[in-house]
Amino acid sequence: MTEIKLNKVVKAYGEVEVIHGIDLEIHSGEFVVFVGPSGCGKSTLLRIIAGLEKVSGGEVVIDGEVVNTVPASERGLAMVFQSYALYPHMSVYKNMAFGLENAKMPREEIDKRVTEAARLLQIEPYLQRRPKALSGGQRQRVAIGRAIVRDPKAFLFDEPLSNLDAELRVAMRKELAGLHAKLGGTMIYVTHDQVEAMTLADTIVVLSGGNVAQAGKPLDLYNKPRNTFVAGFIGSPRMNLVEARVAANGTGFDLVSGAQTIRVPEVPGLEAQSSATYGVRPEHIAITGEDDADVTATVELSEQLGGETYLYCSADGLPQLTVHQLGQLPVERGQVIHLKFDRSKMHVFGADGNVLANGLPT
Amino acid sequence: MAFDTDPRAEPVRLSDRVYAILALPAMAFFRLFEWPLRFLQRILGIGAMPYVFLFPNLAFFGIFVITPLILSIGFSVTGGTNLFLQDRPYVGAEQYGYLLECGNHLDPTTCREDRFWRAIYNTGTFVFFQVGFMVLFSLITALILNREIRGRGFFRAVFFFPVLLSPVVVALIWKWILLRDGVLNAALVSMGLERILFFVDPTWSMFWAIFVSVWAHMGFYTLILLAGLQAIPPDLYEAAEMDGTSKERVFWRITLPLLWPNMLVVIVLALIKAVQIFDEVFVLTGGGPGTATQFIVQYIYTTGFANQVQNFGLASAASVVLGVVLFALTIVQLAVTRRKDEG
Repeated sequence: MTEIKLNKVVKAYGEVEVIHGIDLEIHSGEFVVFVGPSGCGKSTLLRIIAGLEKVSGGEVVIDGEVVNTVPASERGLAMVFQSYALYPHMSVYKNMAFGLENAKMPREEIDKRVTEAARLLQIEPYLQRRPKALSGGQRQRVAIGRAIVRDPKAFLFDEPLSNLDAELRVAMRKELAGLHAKLGGTMIYVTHDQVEAMTLADTIVVLSGGNVAQAGKPLDLYNKPRNTFVAGFIGSPRMNLVEARVAANGTGFDLVSGAQTIRVPEVPGLEAQSSATYGVRPEHIAITGEDDADVTATVELSEQLGGETYLYCSADGLPQLTVHQLGQLPVERGQVIHLKFDRSKMHVFGADGNVLANGLPT
Repeated sequence: MAFDTDPRAEPVRLSDRVYAILALPAMAFFRLFEWPLRFLQRILGIGAMPYVFLFPNLAFFGIFVITPLILSIGFSVTGGTNLFLQDRPYVGAEQYGYLLECGNHLDPTTCREDRFWRAIYNTGTFVFFQVGFMVLFSLITALILNREIRGRGFFRAVFFFPVLLSPVVVALIWKWILLRDGVLNAALVSMGLERILFFVDPTWSMFWAIFVSVWAHMGFYTLILLAGLQAIPPDLYEAAEMDGTSKERVFWRITLPLLWPNMLVVIVLALIKAVQIFDEVFVLTGGGPGTATQFIVQYIYTTGFANQVQNFGLASAASVVLGVVLFALTIVQLAVTRRKDEG
């Protein structure tokens, strides 16, 4: 079984440092997803682990061995590329067998492994075809098959689903989860799609600007974001984040944004006359009566999905608020509604963006 | 969200306006053709218009390519020394018979027109070595220039520069280097070595003919191969690296197969150009010593124009033979590239 550890890993291109000393521990058999916006360093980090990029500082440790100077081919890892990187002039079979031939494996063993992987991925009928004659999803499977046959210490996936259409993506996502359950290997997966991260990962590592913003179980990140970046990045549609001025009101605080004031109880670390950000997820906003309301807002758009409804509302002094309601809601554009934020699920962040409270006492 | 202002609505850029102004003279020019074309469309109907548009090109092609082709076939089946076709007696395949008649086709001295066969053998030797070295050296150069080396742009320019020179200039430069009192011999003498009379020795002459034409044209083929190398996705090399592929295996199993379509273009173009070789070698060696570097096109030229008796008929027959060979090469090229596309 394989453990991968990063100790203070730094990557710089000339003067520009893109990874700023990342520490990370990946346990054996774990499915880890690196997620973050473009340019956050997630692909670079994966390529550093793969050995396709050299580190500028720190250590990459695989199974207790520092591999900084070990070439990619000797790290025992397999990578699935975003573009699939299939050899266009070779048949599917040859593509999968190529790495094994390099290792001078006996013919029968190669044949056995390729056939097995092809059966697992249901690409047996295409073994003699060229990649050109395959659909995107089939190519994806071949790329995964090429990784499987090598029986690697760990699988590395670099945005493997981003070239597929939406429907196929969902299907392949499920298959990947199934594959992980079946093979049980360590997998590191890079994506910018937080839905993929949430659905596939045992552990999500959210990267931002070359740093780890937060790492943890998907629902921990969802429920207990460490900062506004993670709060805004994890969850779809995203959390409503509102900047506010803090004012004391005797029993607790008033969070004031323009004309809107939200009363909250005492929050440790929150100080009067400072600025803060509070966050509330769309599903934690209820539609209520006027007396009970935190905010009175105008519906600007309502998306009726049948089973659920999304309302996009505007209120003076607030950014656009997204509200999620189960079932069908007969609300029309321009209608005025009254909203109440669930205090027990509200998040408060300090002026530096770090969390002060995930859930407030009611 | 859905009702944000659309950031994709671009403002009109200044450059667009400048282009619009620059396009005005072109539009005015095309306006000149508008009424004659409208007139033609009215009298010929719209179905004939594609042919109207094709006509200028076809006329050019017909006058400068098809007509000379037919004329040279005409000259090759007539005899005598007269220039005008109507004054020349029809002799049928006599010229071809004269050209092709040999006691033993492998030995030019047994042929009636031994100069023609010598030219053919010389051309064969030249083509074999020139194309071989051309492909080899342009491949090596392209592979080196494709790497992340210092001053890559400079070296790319340096290797391409000879292509821009006129063949005559190239030949003159090398002639001055290689002459009895040339730069190279001066260098040899200063090192205490003996002078070499390059243009007196048949082997040296052939060597330099090949060397100079490779030097002059290599940049062009290097460019084609470089383009092919750059079209190979870097991901494939990374995948190969992850697969633990050795450098040699990467070259033989990935680079070369993916570069093969470009290699094929290079081989065929180099082959056709090599068969047609004339100007550089003519200026460099004059075909000598003797006929050691006289090639087929030079044979045609001297037979038709430079000899005391200008034998247009024989020269035309030799041209037709050369044309057939080039045609065959082109067919092979088409067949091979088509099979490649289908594969």
